[in-house]
Amino acid sequence: MEDLLKELPGVRLSEVFDGSEKRLSEKVSASKPDLIIIDPQALAGTLNTFLHSLNNKIILVGLVDEHTPPTISSKFSYTINIRESKFGLLDTFNKIPGINPGKAAEHDENKPLSARETTILKHITLGLTNQEIAEKLFLSVHTVTTHRKNITKKLGIKTVSGLTVYALLNKIIKMDDLQP
Amino acid sequence: MRIEKDMKLADVIHHDYHLIPVINRFNIHLGFGDSTIEQLCRKQEINTEFFLTIVNTYHDPQYFPKKHLQSFPVSSLIGYLGKAHQYYLEQKIPEIKRLIIELIEAADDTQKKNFELALGFFEEYQSELVSHIEREENSVYPYALEMEKVLEKETDTSDIILKMENYSITDYEKEHDNVEEKLFDLKNLIIKYLPSVENDTISYGILLELFDLEKDLRDHARIEDMILVPKVEAMEFTIKKMNR
Repeated sequence: MEDLLKELPGVRLSEVFDGSEKRLSEKVSASKPDLIIIDPQALAGTLNTFLHSLNNKIILVGLVDEHTPPTISSKFSYTINIRESKFGLLDTFNKIPGINPGKAAEHDENKPLSARETTILKHITLGLTNQEIAEKLFLSVHTVTTHRKNITKKLGIKTVSGLTVYALLNKIIKMDDLQP
Repeated sequence: MRIEKDMKLADVIHHDYHLIPVINRFNIHLGFGDSTIEQLCRKQEINTEFFLTIVNTYHDPQYFPKKHLQSFPVSSLIGYLGKAHQYYLEQKIPEIKRLIIELIEAADDTQKKNFELALGFFEEYQSELVSHIEREENSVYPYALEMEKVLEKETDTSDIILKMENYSITDYEKEHDNVEEKLFDLKNLIIKYLPSVENDTISYGILLELFDLEKDLRDHARIEDMILVPKVEAMEFTIKKMNR
């Protein structure tokens, strides 16, 4: 589920909490989420107290399966089946007013790499570390990391050798540029 | 659907054909007529509970085999996992490689280079998978087997205690994700970025093989995480208690 959420365009997964954590509602409220996804089983007996303690503006989504009794699932504004696919998740989120992950995708993911991203991609495939790239381009390491995440998201390629193949195919680098 | 011992294996296979390589790892060969799982297991001298635990875990990601954990030895589990490894290394990987080479041979000269990149990438993946598997077979599995032997024969535990101080099975749980990433990338390279060719048949074949391998590896990892790891954790716990 976590991995699926991370793959959704326009969604930022801020934190994952363990149901048995102490002072759970305080911690959840502190990260000011738009939406939280709750596994009612993980909270068991403390579910009601927890739900009551939350700010009304937070959208509550329950993680359910076919055995979840209606008394539990009715406590949530929206529910997601535990076995849901990426598309099913998108469908559910698109039903929620104010939350629009799919739309963000059209802005972000479908765009080709920017000139800056292409430069950074080139340096990554030539084997430079984030630190080295940052120094070379006068950027902070944090900015380089963000660019890297966006490159991976846009291209759908996670590993450095995968990015290298992409860069070679698109003539961003040449075979001779690579050290043997 | 929960797979039970009185079901006909033929029906189960119709329901989930991904189980074909799995039953093969138990030495069950096609042509089993209307036999039920129980009958086949008896014939092949397979522990039925063990068989059911494996096929159900493999078949249903939500299945949690808690109550059967203690009913079969670690050695049969490791025997099964080893056969799965053999299947990846001796059948799946060479088959995918063969297809990529076929793709290179079919491409015209201007594009051969591009498909060779895919082959190089796949070979990198192959060596990562091989070293992952070797580490399991050379360190994780022997560790689990030795622990079982110590507990069975109630021999001296000092050796294993020493090993436990340096290593716990819990460390190993975290190591699975990395191998998956390259497979994910390779799928996208083929779907999105490699040049189009007139005849897609070979590329389709490669993709189907990759999706299939990916699913099998994921289910395999789940069997290790859900069955092997808890079993070894329980043994680690018992040994620690004996020595208190």
